[in-house]
Amino acid sequence: MVQFLRFAAVRAFLAMFTLILVSFIVFSLMELVPGDCAERYLAFKNTTGSGISVADIESERIRLGLDKPYITRWVTWIFNAFQGDFGDSCILRVNISQLLGQKFWLSLGICMTSLLVAYLIAIPVGIISATSNNAVLNNSLRLVSYLGLAMPNFLLALMIMLFSTVFFGDSLTGLFSKEFRDAAWSWPRVKDFLSRAWLPVFILGWSATAFAIQTVRALMSDEIGKLYVTAAAARGVSGRRLLWRYPARHALGPIINSLGFDLNRIFNELPIVALILTLTEAGALLLESLARSNDQQLAGAIIFMLTASIVVLNFVTDIILALTDPRVRRSILG
Amino acid sequence: MTNTTAIYADTDQSLKEAYFTAGQGQLIWTRFKKQKAAMAGVIVLVVLILSGLFAPILTPYDPTIAGRDADYQNGAPQIPKFWDENGFSARPFIYTPSRERSAATNFRWVTTVDREARRYVVFFPKGDKYKLFGIPGTRHLFGVNEGKIHLFGTDGGGKDIFSRTFHAINTSLAVGTIGVLIAFVLALVIGGVSGYYGGWIDSILQMITDAVRTIPAIPLFMALSAFIPIEWSAETRFLFISMILGFIGWPTLARRVRTHLLTERNQEYVLAAQLCGAPAGHIIRKHLLPSFTSYIIVDLVISFPYMVLSETALSFIGLGLKDPVNSLGVMLQSVTSADVLLNYQWYFIPVIFFITLVLAFVFVGDGLRDAADPYGDTKK
Repeated sequence: MVQFLRFAAVRAFLAMFTLILVSFIVFSLMELVPGDCAERYLAFKNTTGSGISVADIESERIRLGLDKPYITRWVTWIFNAFQGDFGDSCILRVNISQLLGQKFWLSLGICMTSLLVAYLIAIPVGIISATSNNAVLNNSLRLVSYLGLAMPNFLLALMIMLFSTVFFGDSLTGLFSKEFRDAAWSWPRVKDFLSRAWLPVFILGWSATAFAIQTVRALMSDEIGKLYVTAAAARGVSGRRLLWRYPARHALGPIINSLGFDLNRIFNELPIVALILTLTEAGALLLESLARSNDQQLAGAIIFMLTASIVVLNFVTDIILALTDPRVRRSILG
Repeated sequence: MTNTTAIYADTDQSLKEAYFTAGQGQLIWTRFKKQKAAMAGVIVLVVLILSGLFAPILTPYDPTIAGRDADYQNGAPQIPKFWDENGFSARPFIYTPSRERSAATNFRWVTTVDREARRYVVFFPKGDKYKLFGIPGTRHLFGVNEGKIHLFGTDGGGKDIFSRTFHAINTSLAVGTIGVLIAFVLALVIGGVSGYYGGWIDSILQMITDAVRTIPAIPLFMALSAFIPIEWSAETRFLFISMILGFIGWPTLARRVRTHLLTERNQEYVLAAQLCGAPAGHIIRKHLLPSFTSYIIVDLVISFPYMVLSETALSFIGLGLKDPVNSLGVMLQSVTSADVLLNYQWYFIPVIFFITLVLAFVFVGDGLRDAADPYGDTKK
């Protein structure tokens, strides 16, 4: 038990370290965006009619703490970030955690669901394609997974939009219908959300599934030729029982381990899919803040939260793997 | 191995000799030729690359605003015909469209097609000026005797989508090549140092690599390209975007280089070289890298389409390339509007070419991977 705690502590420390490193990268990137928050604050004031001067910008900089040295500002930023406080958005002038709160969890939920769906399909299909000798089945699966790799999610989203507008006259966009957009959560709103959320989940899951099928297939075909599988077959274990109890358990280890990077790949496509389907969630906000308004506070907060969830998932899968895989467990627990 | 031996036992002695004395390249090529899908991929790829390179000759018009057809904006694709109700013609022809705006059309621009006025397809007419590999020219592969022909239709500005598509292939290949080269050099240096020295240098480099890998690539691209000054010309932008793609694409390859070096550096031939007093750089370059050149080539081919797709995605959201540089992403910028979705579906024609291009790359990369695996024959 002590050893396990020590293992968990080391992992947690490493995750923390990665997170701090990432936060430094993100913070530096945001510093490179032309202009700073003070200028944008005052640019807003300018639109309301009051004139601004260089002195105003300087005093605004001091008020926002932008005159302090780089490292000091980074430390403050990261310190507040861990407490869930990302300050105010430069353009929208509201607190970021308030602005982002629900939207971020919505995006994370969509991505996690896509990941789950991808593996629910990929694990059985990958195992079947690795073990079956049916050429037609294998080749068609190969073609599907190639298409998944070659046709990026945003092209798929565009194609679906094209077909649904031409044939159904509805472009299937948005996460909520008009009447529910600003309503509080209630059962009809959940139903409405689910009736629309399947499309982003499907689109994000599409290439994730293709990728996952390839991984599962490769891992399974590596394991299936090994001697312990032959030995188990010789003892009379056969069929599904053989596959599940022996090679599949080995093959799933590396998959659990790489879940964090799969989530990374899904997040990757989120902003663009969000743009096409006009979703109102964190991906769309990120795009908005980077491409249109240069709102570095908001963009930094979103990228930081995305990476933080990947790091957390990596940490969780490490622990799960340590608990479930007897080889890892024994090496930790002695 | 028994299978192969059995086959080679019956065949001619000289064939057997050819097999055992073949170099690595010849062996890979022999295995590669057996894969039909990969060979088809190579043919498609060569055709697409050549048509991208020779785009100025193959396409009838200049892809930028200079080659626009003011009389045919948002025009549908024109398919050359051999006959219609007015009779047969040995030369393929298209009809003449005309635009008009008057009280009769409610003061909107309306395109009508005059089926009586035929435009005949001609080969090698003189057209827009272009430069191909530095040689100026005016002849294009085909055109029509009067007005203009648009096989894939035109966009909102009257630019020919057919010409733009082929020029876009060129751009994508250039972006991919620059990106892959930069990623390749970075990956070799970082992965090489990390794998060869091991120890704490390796730990630190791995930590940085992992941190870079944790940030999703497209948000990172977006953040990096957000600070490109607006004043930059399209060409500078193009170069900068390709460089960004390279600077982000290295971690995967670096990891593979490192893993390979970590196992290879304990081999006897490395020890022998070290005992002879060879410096580290020499050992990495002359002994370790050649031991997995084939894997590196395969990885480069496989990572190529992802560079192209990232560029497309980036340009699509407006953070990547901009007019007058043509790329698929630039061409797709306006397609999400309902107007295009409902009325101008030919905007999507270039997508077919790009899916083909990416698929061809994936097939070739996969075929190469199987062919480069020296144990590929024995496994089956």
